[in-house]
Amino acid sequence: MAIKVLIVEDNPVARSFLCRVVRESFSDAIVITEAGDLESARRHVGPLHSERIEASADTFKLILVDLELPDGNGMELLTELVRYPATKIVTTLYSDDDHLFPALQCGADGYLLKEDRFEVLVEELQKIVRGQPPLSPAIARRLLSHFRQGPGGMGALAGLGEPALASGSGFQSSRPLPLGRGAPLDHERLTPRESEVLTYLSKGFTIKEIANLMGIKWFTVNDHIKSIYKKLNVSSRAEAAVLASKHGLV
Amino acid sequence: MDPSASHRGTPTDSQEGSPLSTSRRSRPVTHDSLLDSRLIEQTLGRVEHLARWMGWRLRFLVVAALAGCLGVLLLARWMAGTPQVAAEWVTTATGQLQLAASSDPGLNFHVGKVLASVGSSQQRAISPDVLAITPSARWIIDDLDRVRQQAMHAQLDSLLAQQTVRLTFADGMVADVQPVARGIASLGALFWLLAGLGLVVYMVGMIVVLASPSVRTLLYAAMCSSQAGNLIFLAVESTVALGLPEPLSRLDFPCRLAFDLITGAAIVHATSLHPRRVPGSTTIAWAAWASMIAIGLPAAGGMLQDAWWWLQGGVAVMGSATVALLVWSYRLLRHPFAIVMRRFGLMAVSTWILLTVAVAIASADRVPSVQQQVAEVGPVIWYVFLSSLLLLMPFLSKSQQLMREFSLLAAISTVATSLDLLFVAVFSFGQFTSVTLALFLSLGLYAGAREWVLNRVRSRNMLTTERTFEKLYRIAREVEAHPDRTPILLVRLLQELFEPLEAVVVEKRSPTVRVVSDGSTLLLPVPALTDKQVSAPTSIVMRFANRGQRLFTSDDARLTDRIVEQLCRAVAFDRAVEQGRSEERLRIAQDLHDDIGARLLTLMYKAQSPEMEDYVRHTLQDLKTLTRGLAAPNHPLSHAAGEWKADLTQRLSAAQVHLGWHLAFDRDVSLTVVQWSGLTRVMRELCTNAIAHAGATRVDIDFQLIGDRLDLFVTDNGQGRNPQAWAHGLGLGGVRKRVKQLGGEVEWREVEPHGIRCHVVIRRLS
Repeated sequence: MAIKVLIVEDNPVARSFLCRVVRESFSDAIVITEAGDLESARRHVGPLHSERIEASADTFKLILVDLELPDGNGMELLTELVRYPATKIVTTLYSDDDHLFPALQCGADGYLLKEDRFEVLVEELQKIVRGQPPLSPAIARRLLSHFRQGPGGMGALAGLGEPALASGSGFQSSRPLPLGRGAPLDHERLTPRESEVLTYLSKGFTIKEIANLMGIKWFTVNDHIKSIYKKLNVSSRAEAAVLASKHGLV
Repeated sequence: MDPSASHRGTPTDSQEGSPLSTSRRSRPVTHDSLLDSRLIEQTLGRVEHLARWMGWRLRFLVVAALAGCLGVLLLARWMAGTPQVAAEWVTTATGQLQLAASSDPGLNFHVGKVLASVGSSQQRAISPDVLAITPSARWIIDDLDRVRQQAMHAQLDSLLAQQTVRLTFADGMVADVQPVARGIASLGALFWLLAGLGLVVYMVGMIVVLASPSVRTLLYAAMCSSQAGNLIFLAVESTVALGLPEPLSRLDFPCRLAFDLITGAAIVHATSLHPRRVPGSTTIAWAAWASMIAIGLPAAGGMLQDAWWWLQGGVAVMGSATVALLVWSYRLLRHPFAIVMRRFGLMAVSTWILLTVAVAIASADRVPSVQQQVAEVGPVIWYVFLSSLLLLMPFLSKSQQLMREFSLLAAISTVATSLDLLFVAVFSFGQFTSVTLALFLSLGLYAGAREWVLNRVRSRNMLTTERTFEKLYRIAREVEAHPDRTPILLVRLLQELFEPLEAVVVEKRSPTVRVVSDGSTLLLPVPALTDKQVSAPTSIVMRFANRGQRLFTSDDARLTDRIVEQLCRAVAFDRAVEQGRSEERLRIAQDLHDDIGARLLTLMYKAQSPEMEDYVRHTLQDLKTLTRGLAAPNHPLSHAAGEWKADLTQRLSAAQVHLGWHLAFDRDVSLTVVQWSGLTRVMRELCTNAIAHAGATRVDIDFQLIGDRLDLFVTDNGQGRNPQAWAHGLGLGGVRKRVKQLGGEVEWREVEPHGIRCHVVIRRLS
């Protein structure tokens, strides 16, 4: 049975390059659907009415989304696909946290930098699908402050909590969704180990180095990273839900 | 009468300073403990101030004002009702009276004749001389003359009460005149002016004491009332042509003696308490009052020989004591009030002594006309001068400009009059000559002194205006970078402007810029210059302007207000400019990234060879570094270091090269865009070299930032040799260029056993 993959990318050269990367990465039979903009992507995905779409042969298993699309930002699609049971990956030229962090919050499972070499991309893609998402120092730093302040910041801390967001130092074409305010729940807190891992990551250490420094196995470090990702997604989904109920959308 | 009365030590500032002075008095300790929180609290919280006025004080003040006005009116009415011979008299050189002018048709015929005697049918005739038209016994030097004057005035008073008065002239001619009530219109402008001034002085004294009743304000009120009394007497005396009506002639000497002595003692007492309580103030006060009573009682009873000299001397001593106390007090606490008062005091004491000498010389010459003129005009001028000083005191800090002009004018007119009298007395100049000479001299003095004072003030201000603005804009920039340092920077600016002895930031809200505490203190709220300032409201308190030489004035408060306003504007302007710039940078960065980035990406995918692909990839990465640098204005070193390490690790591990990373810095500085992108590209280039050309298997990066000096060592273990012989291609040239941009040097050296070490040193990073 073929695995369905959706690639949303407006540049045809890049699209065919990503197709090659996807085919190279997996040994299974693969059916690739290509979309040049958000509208056709939405058409391919189909209606998203039900609470949770059951994973079936019809659903996409893997979705690559470019952030800059002719008719909008890829994050819009990611937000719509929050409950879609696929591995969602952001493919972008932007490597700074101002762009990537909101994308991860929107439910992306990882990101690929389009300028990386073919072999690197293949390797990274395999890692993401296996559950070893990348985590750059800048994003690790952002995660640390995100979880330290509580998502969306708390009261008076809001101004200090997300200076980069507030000051608009990034130059993204569209702003991330406004974040709701909620009490810090369990999924909004990091364990001490996770914090430690994030701290090392923010200082530029590799996973192997962190494993050495902390005296644990490298895959344990990786588990922590996966858990952090999950918490970020869960917490942002919880926020989105809070926000949606506030606006009477749910 | 007291020259030094000018420095009374009571709180001058009845409205502003009263709560403060109250606190100081009740806790003498706080005189030295500067800016204690309580002081600030009291000056800042003035909520009940207005409410206090609503109570008994206001009623009392109204009563006092009504009583004062009524008193003056009754006095004027009574004066208008006293009988008088409608004639003006002058003294001849021999001390006899000569009829100068008369509105009585019966007397007109006798104008120019010397008066021999005055009598009536019921009363024995008397021969009036100069003493009859000398209004005040207070300024008669000789004890016997004074007694004679009092007796003569009493006789004249009873004579004028008769139906007709017979005037016998020296040539034997006789004129019978009917004394008539003089009428309210004949009182003259001088009477009303002096009485009005007296009333004002009295009212100011009342207001001050009622605003904040305390020992010091009471002393001030005592001085004011005494001077008001003096002025009223002077007003009455100005109307007299022949003889002073009873009971004024009897009361004149003891009353005016008491007024002068009370003022003298009060000023010493007050100065011992304000601006700072001096050690032994109680003893000093008692001594002053005791000595004044010791002079006053016997003098009033006529038991003191040379009473006039005792009086003049006593007052002069009190005045000098006041000046001495102020000097001492200023040493203990550098309160500018003491300096201003000292100047006033010196002025008043010296003019007092000048007046005394003038009167004494005039009387020693025994030229009655001169003596009478000196004794009549001199004291009037002096008392008016003193009263104006008293009046000014509560408003010292309100308008220094006006006060300066006024006191200069008053002092110089006093000097002019004294000089005029001296010329008349010593050189026996004619009236016209002496007045002209004195007028010219004093005008010259006034012009010179005024020019000098203004020049001093202006030149200082003009110098600082220019510098102030320069500083203002520099501070605006600094505030933008460090909003939390606003108060400190503002204090530094204001310190240069006003040179206060103390300037402190307190955590209190102050509504506006205000001068408080007799002008010794300036309070201003620290403005919230940036949005991010979340700290508690703070105020700046400055005390003792110009190193304790000057009082703060309302002009200073206005200037400070303007400066703060300008600072706010400058900061807002800077922020707007900075925002515009960063928006522009962002736009450029986004355009570069989106357009050029996408094209380079397409180019990279379509590259014919791996080399070309790598080349484009590096170009793309450089473009990303560039746009990133444009987008973010600064990068903390710790953040940058993390990214450098991750980036280099990824690059090197892709080429199977091990990275040794050593980072040491003593503080987390903020790298500018130029520094960040420069260092990023230097490190990237050096690593690329180590991979591509040296074929190394290990690269060690040692990054040290100690103080302001940055050392970067990039060591590889490749086969590169003899760096001097390298061709400086694009890579190494780029490194050199960027290091030079950062103001550093770079050199390559061989290391044993093999490899190259590149050393980048930037001696002054910031």
